[in-house]
Amino acid sequence: MHIVVCMKQVPRDNSVKINPDLSINAEGIEQIMNLFDEYAVEEGLQWNEKLGGKVTVLSLGPEEWKEQIRRALAMGATDALLLSDPSFAGLDVLGAARAVAAAINKLGDVDLVLAGRNSTDDESGAFGPALARMLGWPQLTYVGKIAELDEGSKRIVAERHLEEQIETVESRLPAVVTVVKDINEPRYPSLLRIKRVAKVEIPIWSAADLGLSAQAPAASIAARVPPPPRAKGEIIQGADAAEKVRTLVDKLMESQVI
Amino acid sequence: MPNEIWVLIEKARHSDNIAAISRELLGKGRQLADAAGTQLAALVLGSGMGALAERAFAYGADKAYVVDDAALAQYTTDGFVGAAAALAKKYQPALILSGASFQMRDFSAALAAELGVGLAIDATNVTIEGEQISAVRPSHGGNVINTIAFGAARPAVVAARKQSWPEAQEQAGRSGEVVQESMPGVEIRTKVTNVSPKQGAVNLADAAIIVSGGRGLGSPENYFKLIPPLAEALGGAYGASRAIVDAGWIPYEHQVGQTGKTVSPKLYMAVGISGAIQHLAGMRTSRTIVAINKDADAPIFRVASYGLVGDASEIVPLLTEEIKKRAGR
Repeated sequence: MHIVVCMKQVPRDNSVKINPDLSINAEGIEQIMNLFDEYAVEEGLQWNEKLGGKVTVLSLGPEEWKEQIRRALAMGATDALLLSDPSFAGLDVLGAARAVAAAINKLGDVDLVLAGRNSTDDESGAFGPALARMLGWPQLTYVGKIAELDEGSKRIVAERHLEEQIETVESRLPAVVTVVKDINEPRYPSLLRIKRVAKVEIPIWSAADLGLSAQAPAASIAARVPPPPRAKGEIIQGADAAEKVRTLVDKLMESQVI
Repeated sequence: MPNEIWVLIEKARHSDNIAAISRELLGKGRQLADAAGTQLAALVLGSGMGALAERAFAYGADKAYVVDDAALAQYTTDGFVGAAAALAKKYQPALILSGASFQMRDFSAALAAELGVGLAIDATNVTIEGEQISAVRPSHGGNVINTIAFGAARPAVVAARKQSWPEAQEQAGRSGEVVQESMPGVEIRTKVTNVSPKQGAVNLADAAIIVSGGRGLGSPENYFKLIPPLAEALGGAYGASRAIVDAGWIPYEHQVGQTGKTVSPKLYMAVGISGAIQHLAGMRTSRTIVAINKDADAPIFRVASYGLVGDASEIVPLLTEEIKKRAGR
């Protein structure tokens, strides 16, 4: 079975700034593998250990993203692919899904695509569904357990962990699955493997390799601003805890918060 | 007349009414439709859900497009996106509004990709100025507020964050036009074989009041002794920082923050939470924030509306009692 795991590199925290050209400035913030994608990588590895075949970790971004691709290789991914092109810089989530769909079609033999439920920077959760539509494949989002994955019958059974309910869903393969945090416990890459993959060549496909022509996005960022500052708060003073608590409750009741 | 504004209607989980999010969207949709001089239509997809159209009229819709089909008894991406896309192609609405629950994110993203149109998920505002439709959506844990300008392709697809607008008020005697449509011939490739309630589900996103605890509480025993009783006295839900979820004090369901839930309640109380940026990402848009922490320099105080510096073990039981006594719960 050939499993592709889509992985994105993100800033460790979101204390980002906004550049004059409205791009995001994450300078000085450590770049890590998107947390939810780490679960997707682990899930891909576990099924690969059971079923054999390949696990390709695929990312769309600048060359610096090879660092996190290497981390996935050190965790145990068998193959890697980076989609990188200057024209990808301003892609929105639908544009990114279009490019990744082209790459998956070009790979040709993919049975399952895994990704995190969302990236922790963009936070939309749109990538998986958009990718599935562009591939023409079924989608299973917010999956907290893959109960069955069968290459012969081309079937997957998974649990979708929604806010208040768990849905068991069956689907045919190939399919796109996005995963939530409870699905597994990602492994740490071993030092030995980190060394072994340090010099592995990571193939790069450009827009031309994918046969992609420029396409204007259906929506664009017209403005980006930091959030309005919160009104200055106050530290409640009092002789003792009981007095502070009474003052707090007074204030909450006066402002009809409670 | 300009093209219509559509709202995808969801049924309330525990009643026959439409869901709170749908009432919110109808309220906002009504405003937008009036300003643009167009009609507001409810999109009712389901099986045996036709009565929801009448409810949508009571909350401001002029019209309802209803697809009543056994194939829509359960949400599936193929079924819902197939039906919505077919109707959108036929009637060309300007805008389709939905909620932004997991299911609705699954729906709206697939719908936008299917139609090749623009998308804004987790929108907190939508505006229409002449031909320009725009949406505001936070990203990066609320540190970046994006204005998304939709291009000419229609419909604009917008999945809105809960509690962004007031709910529409019910108006007795309103009615509207029902347009019955049949289910298009789409193949539904996924099959829902079981739905079960989540054990100990906490829908933090729905809670008007949330009390969260963190590592400053010292132990899981302390957390459970202090936090749930305070939440209960306030009629709210209880949450947690990532640190104590990772430490195994409480399930992931309760986690607020960058890799947990993003919440925006009327009142958020952070007890023994220092306020790491990842936690702030999940709660900084709460209307009123109360922080209780023994470290006066904790970053949480920078976003707090009210701060209490002191020992949670002493303060919280007093607070719980005071609220029970004064707020009459």
